[in-house]
Amino acid sequence: MTEPQTEPAPLSLGTAGARNLATTLKSVPQMQGISSRWLLRALPWVEVGGGTFRVNRRATYAAGSGRVSFTVAADSVQVVPPSLAELPLLRGFDDEDVLAGLAGRFRQREFAAGEELATAGAPANSMFLVAHGKVNRVGATKYGDQRVLGTVSEGEAIGQELLTGNGITAEETARAITRVIVLEVTRDDLQRVLSEAPELAAHVIVSQADQRAPRNRHGESEIDLSAGHDGEPDLPGTYADYELAPREYPLSVAQTVLRVHTRVADLFNEPMDQVEHQLRLTVEALRERQESELINNPDFGLLHNVDLKQRVHTRSGPPTPDDMDDLITRRRKTQYFFAHPRAIAAFGQECTRRGIYPEPVEHEGSVVPSWRGVPLLSCNKIPISDTGSTSILALRTGQENQGVIGLQPAKLPDEQQPGLSARFMGVTDKGILQYLVSAYYSVAALVPDAYGILENIELGRVD
Amino acid sequence: MTETITGSRLSLSTDGARNLATTTKSVPQMQGISSRWLLRLLPWVGVGGGVFRVNRRVVYSPGSGRVSFADEGDTLRVVPPSLGELPLLRGFDDEEVLTGLAQRFVQREYNAGDTLVEAGADADAIFIVAHGKVSKLGQGKYGDNTVLGVVADGEHLGDQVLGQSEGTWGATARADTAVTAMVLSRADFEEIVGRSEDLRAHVDELLSHAAIPKNAHGEASIDVAAGHSGEPDLPGTFVDYELSPREYELSVAQTVLRVHSRVADLYNEPMNQVEEQLRLTIEALRERQESEMLNNADFGLLHNVEHGQRIHTRSGPPTPDDLDQLLATVWKQPSFFLAHPKAIAAFGREASHRGVYPTSIDVSGNKVPAWRGVPIYPSNKIPVSDAGTTSILLIRAGEESGGVVGLQPTTLPDEYQPGLSVRFMNVNEKAIISYLVSAYYSVAPLVSDAIGVLENVELGRHHDED
Repeated sequence: MTEPQTEPAPLSLGTAGARNLATTLKSVPQMQGISSRWLLRALPWVEVGGGTFRVNRRATYAAGSGRVSFTVAADSVQVVPPSLAELPLLRGFDDEDVLAGLAGRFRQREFAAGEELATAGAPANSMFLVAHGKVNRVGATKYGDQRVLGTVSEGEAIGQELLTGNGITAEETARAITRVIVLEVTRDDLQRVLSEAPELAAHVIVSQADQRAPRNRHGESEIDLSAGHDGEPDLPGTYADYELAPREYPLSVAQTVLRVHTRVADLFNEPMDQVEHQLRLTVEALRERQESELINNPDFGLLHNVDLKQRVHTRSGPPTPDDMDDLITRRRKTQYFFAHPRAIAAFGQECTRRGIYPEPVEHEGSVVPSWRGVPLLSCNKIPISDTGSTSILALRTGQENQGVIGLQPAKLPDEQQPGLSARFMGVTDKGILQYLVSAYYSVAALVPDAYGILENIELGRVD
Repeated sequence: MTETITGSRLSLSTDGARNLATTTKSVPQMQGISSRWLLRLLPWVGVGGGVFRVNRRVVYSPGSGRVSFADEGDTLRVVPPSLGELPLLRGFDDEEVLTGLAQRFVQREYNAGDTLVEAGADADAIFIVAHGKVSKLGQGKYGDNTVLGVVADGEHLGDQVLGQSEGTWGATARADTAVTAMVLSRADFEEIVGRSEDLRAHVDELLSHAAIPKNAHGEASIDVAAGHSGEPDLPGTFVDYELSPREYELSVAQTVLRVHSRVADLYNEPMNQVEEQLRLTIEALRERQESEMLNNADFGLLHNVEHGQRIHTRSGPPTPDDLDQLLATVWKQPSFFLAHPKAIAAFGREASHRGVYPTSIDVSGNKVPAWRGVPIYPSNKIPVSDAGTTSILLIRAGEESGGVVGLQPTTLPDEYQPGLSVRFMNVNEKAIISYLVSAYYSVAPLVSDAIGVLENVELGRHHDED
């Protein structure tokens, strides 16, 4: 309707006046920060009675995360000496002086994309730690063509066997696929460090012997079997050895003190209960934080506890269908992918570029994108770095599948929701009601191959 | 009957027979009726008191809107009140000071491929893009070029420039098309700020908000301690609400339907004349209602999309990549796309060009085109400009999910359909009966990330057959 040019005097009551007599319909307070929290919904929650969950596993000889850390000052990169103990052969070695001496031998070097750090068949004279960039390990196929064995990225080592004095010739080619910054230590320098510190040399020998102990391909000590035998040979005696110091997951906590003035809580309660809505929004914020912690906590968060073999790097940069296939093959029964919404968009674009339209699937009443029938769920808690790189998680869940499980307390006093309590603390001298709101949680992977990550996904790249 | 020369008829002709028979008549048909998917898809909330108030958590980073320009031949002028859309001037309304600022803007022209600002260079001016598209370029982890975003008509580069005393550009900005930009240097801005006490106070207050801890959406944060051990002091917190929340008054579409009493009294077999008049009038009102819910300058969905939820096509036509990008804005359970039928056709063409065939989905018996499982509904109310550009909306609907809801009155006197009343007015001296037909409605997004829009969708760009 068009307004007339000059408003004549109103003949009847206007809406502004009428509004003062009418009751406005009010929405409950809305909050933008609430997300779908698919991870919390997807994880099966196991109740932990005693505050700690212990994951008993078969004894493993495989060494842990295997990532060295670096400090970057201006353009010079240096290795953090204690983190050298993350290398499988130095696992558990803790003489800081010796490690610092070893760290001091590393020299920084750069390679352009396409250059070779090591060449198969040529003498191997250096061990490298990759500080930045991606390096392909290249071997030969049966018929002599080149094939990519894997990708090595930040914090990983190339040519570790030099520590043992073996590896005179390189077995595989290492080729930089981006600009690469490495720290290099030569064979001579290594030998010098080893001869100066006999305890280091001894540690390497012990680690090497451990690595030779009979074990299956997951690094678990072997259960000896005999199969397909004829006649009456002696059968092997065996037992399944357990880890002596199994990992324990104490429940972590997210807490806050919610304050509501008594005057607000007493009087302004029609039609909505003020305390209830303060509590509702605080709980939403706690749950958001909980999901973020499950992914990012440096102690138990999924991104920081992934097994080295379960880390996959993108081949080119954006998340391609090929990368997702690589990620899927690393475990049986992948049930969910989790990715930042922008990573999902980037994956969709890569599919479209190849002329593929993966069928969306129905998941808990919502239609979500999928790959190979595995739903691709959005999670904005997975970080995107300043340079636009992010990760995609692939999970198998559930205790019976030996997957990833969420941990929550069995029973809480003043429990509001599973694993979350709101406890009345008291009224302060200022007449403010205080409630202690706590959420207890943790997350555990029962076996290392329960989940994996696709790393170094670059967003927004233009070719 | 006429006897023909070739011979006399042997039986009654159809012309004669018609005079004895009753013709079967269709009800009056109307071309303007569309499927009105928006009205069918939105959940409707009954509003008792005529007003719906959307309470939200208080937000400290004011969103930014678009600055408008007046065209004077070849020179452009910034419309002073629209400068209030810049984040740092949000809510400032002293027309005189804004006019002073608007006059300081300098017009600059760039060709496609030109660089507006270089990353790392001194940032000392704010650029408002009056016409054209500008890409913000950054560097990826391994040194490749990446596109961080696109800035287009009425949007700006460098709002942080005005608040700070110095700084550098974080990203390179490059013109994708021919670009006209209006530039205001920091020196000019500070001179104006120096002259106006009010503006100084306003800017200082907004800058002080920067220090308040907030979440990614700008909401004042709810302090939570997590993962701590030992006995640290826990943060005390409360959830602050907006003090003057947005209120949506029900809007109205009305008309007076007139029927002559002789028509209404006599010509009622087999169809009731008043009923048919009413039916078509209501159809027209409902069409108007859908149009208003999209285009109304006050509450229409197209005018209420937050800055961060507006994205631009990369090339021009709506590509699958653009729709993926749009899905990343309303990523929390999107309900449906809404697009002009021509835009849907253009999207289909782009999908085919890439060799992708998105499967349609079944919605209550209808096959609806879909992308990534989210249905794309047609609506001819989304405007197509003279230059053939349009927009595609992505909407999350529903009250529980903080989505978009339609508003209608709970009960009306003489209610004919939900939210629509037909009231007998009078019979005048010419024996004409008047009915007042009114539809009341409004539409409200509960949380601002419930709508996303893909803008500058160009229609009619065809791929040459290779």
